Amino acid sequence: MGTGQSSATGGSEHHREIDWEAAERSPEFKQLERTKRSFVIPATIFFLAWYITFILLAGYAPGFMGESVIEGLTVGYLLALSQFVMVWVLTAMYLRRAKNVFDPLAEKAVRKAIESARPEPVRPGEARPEEDRR
Amino acid sequence: MSPATPIAAVNVEAVVIFGLVVAVTLGITYWASQRTTSATQFWAAGRQITGRQNGLAIAGDYMSAASFLGIAGLIFYFGFDGFLYSVGFLVAFLTVLFLLSERMRNAGKFTIADVLSFRLKERPARVAAALGTLAVVAFYLIAQMVGAGIIIEGLVGINFNVAVIATGSFMLVYVVFGGMLATTWVQIVKAILLMSATVVLSIFVLVRIGGNPIDIFNDAKNQSEDPGAYLEPGLRFDNPIDTLSLGLGLVLGTAGLPHILMRFFTVPDAKAARNSVGWAVGVIGIFYVMTTFLGFGARALLGEAGTTGEVDEAGNLAAPLLAQEVGGGAGSFGGDAFLAIISAVAFATILAVVAGLVISASGAVAHDVWSNVVRKGRDSEHEEVYVARIAAFSIGAIAIAISVIGGSDLNVSYMVGLAFAVAASANFPALLLALTWRRFNTTGAVCGVVVGTVSAILLVLTGPDVADDPLINLTQPGIVSIPLGFAACIIGTLLGREETEAERSFDELHVRSETGLGAETGEAAPRPRQPKQPVAAATGPGRQGA
Repeated sequence: MGTGQSSATGGSEHHREIDWEAAERSPEFKQLERTKRSFVIPATIFFLAWYITFILLAGYAPGFMGESVIEGLTVGYLLALSQFVMVWVLTAMYLRRAKNVFDPLAEKAVRKAIESARPEPVRPGEARPEEDRR
Repeated sequence: MSPATPIAAVNVEAVVIFGLVVAVTLGITYWASQRTTSATQFWAAGRQITGRQNGLAIAGDYMSAASFLGIAGLIFYFGFDGFLYSVGFLVAFLTVLFLLSERMRNAGKFTIADVLSFRLKERPARVAAALGTLAVVAFYLIAQMVGAGIIIEGLVGINFNVAVIATGSFMLVYVVFGGMLATTWVQIVKAILLMSATVVLSIFVLVRIGGNPIDIFNDAKNQSEDPGAYLEPGLRFDNPIDTLSLGLGLVLGTAGLPHILMRFFTVPDAKAARNSVGWAVGVIGIFYVMTTFLGFGARALLGEAGTTGEVDEAGNLAAPLLAQEVGGGAGSFGGDAFLAIISAVAFATILAVVAGLVISASGAVAHDVWSNVVRKGRDSEHEEVYVARIAAFSIGAIAIAISVIGGSDLNVSYMVGLAFAVAASANFPALLLALTWRRFNTTGAVCGVVVGTVSAILLVLTGPDVADDPLINLTQPGIVSIPLGFAACIIGTLLGREETEAERSFDELHVRSETGLGAETGEAAPRPRQPKQPVAAATGPGRQGA
């Protein structure tokens, strides 16, 4: 099988050569983390706040939610639809940002981690590709 | 309105269409069984599912009969309050997208426990995670099976026990023989069937109403028992804190549902994982908007039928009867055919969800408990897959037995609520903290999962749905049990010994979960085996040449 015996523990054995501590502290990784957080944390707070506001309005202001904007179409239903729009818009924003901003930063952090990796230790038992017959 | 035809007699058209659904899914299972030998193939479909396919499969995994038939019924009876479920079920995916989907894909292998045990002490972390997974799956699976029995009995006229055993047996065949590949394609087929049927039904409703969607609300309101209140909140939920508790359970619980999180292990990388959420949010969102047509439409067009007893008490038959009505009414060819189609779609819906649940539970039993705790990783992959099939069979058989013994008296809706509450209170806090908090340790994870699970269950058992003399007057435990789960994680961590080993591997987990460096790679099905690849070849710019 592609991952062999070490697969049961999550496959981390293959990657001993990376200095994870240094990689985690590298400016490249820190920048990725900061940039991601600066989107994800405000976006999460926003969507939870808007959702909870909606539920509390439904709970404490049923009269307001039941008011008609057009006969039959209520404030409550429009606010419910706004939740759907919020989900679609935030998802689209996240996917765009991930592709255009987060991915290049992640690639940089990975490159840095690999460049500064310790020389790969030649360990007995670690099969080189040509030894791995079958 | 035509007089009510009893739909308890066996509906021949429906049985024929059920047969078609079964034939297609069994064909898929046979095809998949030829491609499922390794553990990665069994639990993760070789990680070869594309983002779009996985998005549809997530939709198929997530939209249970409770969404399709249940929400239509809730809106039919309670108007606006029923639609609150639709909103919560969709908003939940923002939590999944922002906090977990990519990180799970990068950090894990097959199960939630893989992510926890990455940096925590393996055996206690795996046992705790398996407990959380099995608790969620137990409640959710039994709720689905009992729901299946009730719905099929009501729609097709097949006896409850026969319906449960049949549903359970097909579920077992898909999972045991076809693994995740068959489960995935059953879910994709189901998602396409469900969406098509719902779109067609919505268009029929819109045409019958006269083309102006707003008239659905007016007609529904006029047909309801309490027109003044029908479009306002408050018909079902009279305690705002309980409503908030339900909402939090839905929005945070989805990010702790093992069968949903497991889907992210089936795609090649984190990009595909997040794109699959994009597809899922599109499909699921459109579906939940259309529940407006199903629920309010059923009230508008079926009108008083609900109050004269034609629609059942839980409202599960509102959508199928609506289909019968817009197809031409009871007794007409079009009406009966449409009823049969909607019934078959409901059946496919249930099959796809229960298959996803069983395969995630088999991961907890075989991969986490058997392979890594009992056998300490010394078993062969062949053994792991063998045990997985046995586990899937046993879990399914137990669920069938409990559903048949418990019968249709089991309260389906509070068991689904409980599943979400346990997922939100036990699985979600532990996962989120393991991925983001450096200091987090094994004691914290174990405390969090145990306290989250136990408090959610106890609150329901002592709550107004079960107890005569409720301890706290909340039917939904989330608002209490979710903070308790987080608090237990934090207090347990601070009281427990600092794990230097755990903190060291947090660096690795953190870099890996955020960048994908070192993440599990896929495994194409037909190709025999590939040499081990160094990390650079799998994830980034080539290193071998350097």
